[in-house]
Amino acid sequence: MSGDLNALRPVVRALAREGGLRLHAGMGLAVVTALAGLGLLALSGWFITATALAGLTAAAALAFDVFVPGAGVRGFALLRTAARYGERVTTHDATLKALAAFRERLFRGWARPQAARTLLARPARLLFRLTSDVDALDALYLRGIIPLVACAATAAVAAILLSFLDFRLGLAAGGALLVGGLGVAVLAARAARRPTRRRAYAGEALRARVVDMVRGQTELVMAGRLAPQTDAVMAADARQAQADDALNRIEVRAGAALTLLTGALLAGVLAAAAHLAEGGTIGAPIAAMALLAVFAAVEPFGALRRGALEIGRAALAAKRLAPRLSDTDSSAEDAPVAPSPEPGVALRLAEAAARHAGDRGFALAPVTLTLRAGERVAIVGPSGAGKSTLMALMAGEIAPAAGSVTAAPAAWLSQRTTLFRDSLRDNLRLAAPDADDARLRDALSGAGLGAFAGRLDAPLGEGGMGLSGGQSRRLALARLLLSDAPLWLLDEPTDGLDGPTARDVLRRLVAKTRGRTLVVATHLRREADVCDRVIVLEGGRVVADLARGAPDFRSALDRLRPD
Amino acid sequence: MTHTPPTTDASPEPGRSRPRASLALWLQAAAALMWLPQAAALALGVGRIAEGGGATAMLAPAAALIGFGALRAGLDAAGQRLAFRDARAELSRLRFNATRALAARSPLDAGRAPSGLAASVLAEQAEAVTAYVARFQPARFKATAVPLVILACVAPLSWLAALILMAAAPLIPLFMALVGWRAKAASERQFVAMGEMNGFLLDRLRGLDAIRSAGAVEATAQRVRAEADGLRRRAMAVLRIAFLSSAVLELFSALGVALVAVYVGFNLLGQIPFGAWGGRLSLPEGLFVLLLAPAFFEPLRELSAAWHDRASGQAALEALERLAAPGRMALPGAVDEPAFAPPFGPAPVVRLKGLRFAHDGAERPALDGFSLVVAPGERVAVLGPSGTGKSTLLALIAGLAPAAGGRILIGGAEMTPDTAAALRARMVWIGQTPHVFSGSLSRNVRLGRPDIGRVQAERALRATALGPLLDRRGDAAVGENGLGLSGGETLRLALARLAVAPGATLVLADEPTAHLDRETARQIMDALIALSAGRTLIVATHDPELAARMDRIVRFDDARLEDAA
Repeated sequence: MSGDLNALRPVVRALAREGGLRLHAGMGLAVVTALAGLGLLALSGWFITATALAGLTAAAALAFDVFVPGAGVRGFALLRTAARYGERVTTHDATLKALAAFRERLFRGWARPQAARTLLARPARLLFRLTSDVDALDALYLRGIIPLVACAATAAVAAILLSFLDFRLGLAAGGALLVGGLGVAVLAARAARRPTRRRAYAGEALRARVVDMVRGQTELVMAGRLAPQTDAVMAADARQAQADDALNRIEVRAGAALTLLTGALLAGVLAAAAHLAEGGTIGAPIAAMALLAVFAAVEPFGALRRGALEIGRAALAAKRLAPRLSDTDSSAEDAPVAPSPEPGVALRLAEAAARHAGDRGFALAPVTLTLRAGERVAIVGPSGAGKSTLMALMAGEIAPAAGSVTAAPAAWLSQRTTLFRDSLRDNLRLAAPDADDARLRDALSGAGLGAFAGRLDAPLGEGGMGLSGGQSRRLALARLLLSDAPLWLLDEPTDGLDGPTARDVLRRLVAKTRGRTLVVATHLRREADVCDRVIVLEGGRVVADLARGAPDFRSALDRLRPD
Repeated sequence: MTHTPPTTDASPEPGRSRPRASLALWLQAAAALMWLPQAAALALGVGRIAEGGGATAMLAPAAALIGFGALRAGLDAAGQRLAFRDARAELSRLRFNATRALAARSPLDAGRAPSGLAASVLAEQAEAVTAYVARFQPARFKATAVPLVILACVAPLSWLAALILMAAAPLIPLFMALVGWRAKAASERQFVAMGEMNGFLLDRLRGLDAIRSAGAVEATAQRVRAEADGLRRRAMAVLRIAFLSSAVLELFSALGVALVAVYVGFNLLGQIPFGAWGGRLSLPEGLFVLLLAPAFFEPLRELSAAWHDRASGQAALEALERLAAPGRMALPGAVDEPAFAPPFGPAPVVRLKGLRFAHDGAERPALDGFSLVVAPGERVAVLGPSGTGKSTLLALIAGLAPAAGGRILIGGAEMTPDTAAALRARMVWIGQTPHVFSGSLSRNVRLGRPDIGRVQAERALRATALGPLLDRRGDAAVGENGLGLSGGETLRLALARLAVAPGATLVLADEPTAHLDRETARQIMDALIALSAGRTLIVATHDPELAARMDRIVRFDDARLEDAA
């Protein structure tokens, strides 16, 4: 429980920063709503009882002022309705505002180079978890803080009200409300903690197993394991059902406890009021008022009980998101690539090595390498030799596990091709926000996608225009061609193109590269051909570094795949 | 085995008649009605105080408050638990049906749901079913039954108070319709908007490398903010309407209560001396009527709150039912237990006679009268340009889809839906982009097969040159999309799955070198040839180098003609 509270603290702080006044206004309105409800019931109870007593004699009946309490009842009814509406609008607006800010903050947090790399290496499951975590945070304010404040306020007001009758009664009733009502919520939150987590993990397992079942269907059925996989999916469901059942049991028990508490409180206040009335301290109208005030004061605790069950999930989300929500950013993490190297040099690696997260050994053994500005360098080697890792190191996407990297600002065409759900134009303009359509069309034809020059408005990505794998890569290349970075890093830029198109793309690429440094990781001869230096990788280490004209240069090229 | 639906409910369509569910409805309605005796006890208690009764006179009302409170708590808890269990079992049943239907659709069925959709429906959207089934139906039942009973209790005391409540009642369905309609629209639109926002953020996070390399972090962060703010504005626009309509509902119920209170007050004062049967109400009677008035409207408020559950619940039900619909093309023997395969049986002869197959909606059949005989232990390359149906052919041999005509005989046994699972137990499949399951490398080789141990799996990994990777990765998970594995490593993983299955005597490889560099492609070829020694091997490829290393090349276009010749 205290661990949960600690986890929630940074999120609460971030919430306060983003929500500001609205959050307080929402809490204020929640208090007004709860108190108006209390006033409405208490006043009605007093009114009915008082009229009944006054009605016993004609004179008293005539003298009885019905208008002030009548107006009070109507006033509380209207106030309650209006305040509840205002509370709902304000709290939801404040929450959505804070979540919007969280999303931006998260994006910025993950956009730091080291973090970005970590994120990409994560399975889709964890990526998906991110967004569901943000969604889960809304419970913290809407269903946690708001009812808590409302409960505290009504309990306090009910206690004060009853203290006017007898301070012991006020203390006892207020204490019972707080201890009983809050106790139920705290116990429920604590009991719900583990099932909430189990439920979240079971949901993730279910998701991953469905993905494995659908995407790996052929492998599974060939191994005779398709039926066990459907069983595994249902096993995850069964685990989730168990957690769901535990949570439901907690919720139902908490509700029953509150119902019992209400009955006991009413009985206690009834007995106490009768005792006080007998002693002449109060009359029946005040007794009725006290009873109904207590009855109304229990109501907000129902909402708190429901919120208590969701706090565990929010705390889990907060724990996972907190590092990216915090304001403090470590600048060391921000820039694994030190500022540009000396003039005339585009990139310098000094005993730089790379390691994948979770791996035991180096993915790339220490490398020392200098690239002069304007050089065109090919990186070759069998797949798995570390070409992509070396590129990532050069691009500053991973921090060196040892040694240092200094590089000019780089644009990187990685093996992963990313198209965003956006128009073709906006997909391209990512690299050059100010580029006009003419420049975009030029980049498209430069990447061998001239056919798309007239379709800049077409939507891309999931549900958009279907592009083949090759076309997507060329689009990413077109995006790179728009970049004005002095260092271009390309991972197999013409993979999947037929010979003549590839040659045309390479010719235009070289033309655009003038004045820039070009690094191409490749297994295609035609791509290495445009370079004047070849670096050969094998098993994660550099085994040769050959300039054009060196004796082994040609044979290194000959080992590459022809068209 | 455990392939039975996880519900104990034996009725063929548990969605229709669920005795437990209707018991749950009655229990929850009865719990709500326990307020009647509690209110009566309160009213009597105050009446006794007015008459000068002391604490001792409160014993009976206090005991009733506690007793009926306990009864109410018990009934409500029992009703809610029953309703929940029933609803949760219904969710499991729906998930089971959808999972089974997904598994039973052929990978060649173009209408099969993509993994992302299947996962989001089964894992996330489906959760809305429980809340809908467990909450909405009891709320609707309470909203019809409880107000009627309260009316029946109020009417004998005061026909005018009953009339006031009754007059407010017809307004309620009107506003309920309004609220319900608005709330449904609101929750649907919000659901869509939320999904879009999450999709947008995921989309951008997945493409972070592109964003970073384009230097567009700042611009994208601002767009994330703008999109999220847009979501907030859209959501607030619909939420405002939803809140306003429920405020109207609340206002009407408050006015109904206030009217009753004012009438009871004036009646007690003697200023409105009619409306009650005997002329004047007593204090307990008046208080009782007043306490029942809010309870009259309460179930209606509950129902309007449950309307949110209804919209998302119904959408989830529809999505699950779509997934559970049978596909256009079945996967023969999808979830059958494979019969025990002899561990070291001889390599089989494969005979294909007049095979016909057409993809759904395709103009030309992919295969039209294809025949071929592959001798035991023979290595055959089916060579042809991509898109000519080579992969389809391999899929038919593996029984991944039923052929439209012709016969497939493997070692003399005919491929039918009944024999598919048993025949597949003797085959190994190597696809062009093998799926990497979430889990460790060795788990990826074992695929949960009970007869393959960890040691065997690791030996197979080393035999396929994945030793260094295994040493580096250990038991670390290889990601859901095989992130962290190169194309060559992924294929080696598929080869390790072959190496670990000595009983499999027919190897089907679909374009195994399509996405590899030459060096790696050669290593994969060597390994494939070494591993298939003593087995029958059929390779579909457009790589002439790979084809040249087989015993025989069947040119796909020639083969088509073979039958005609």
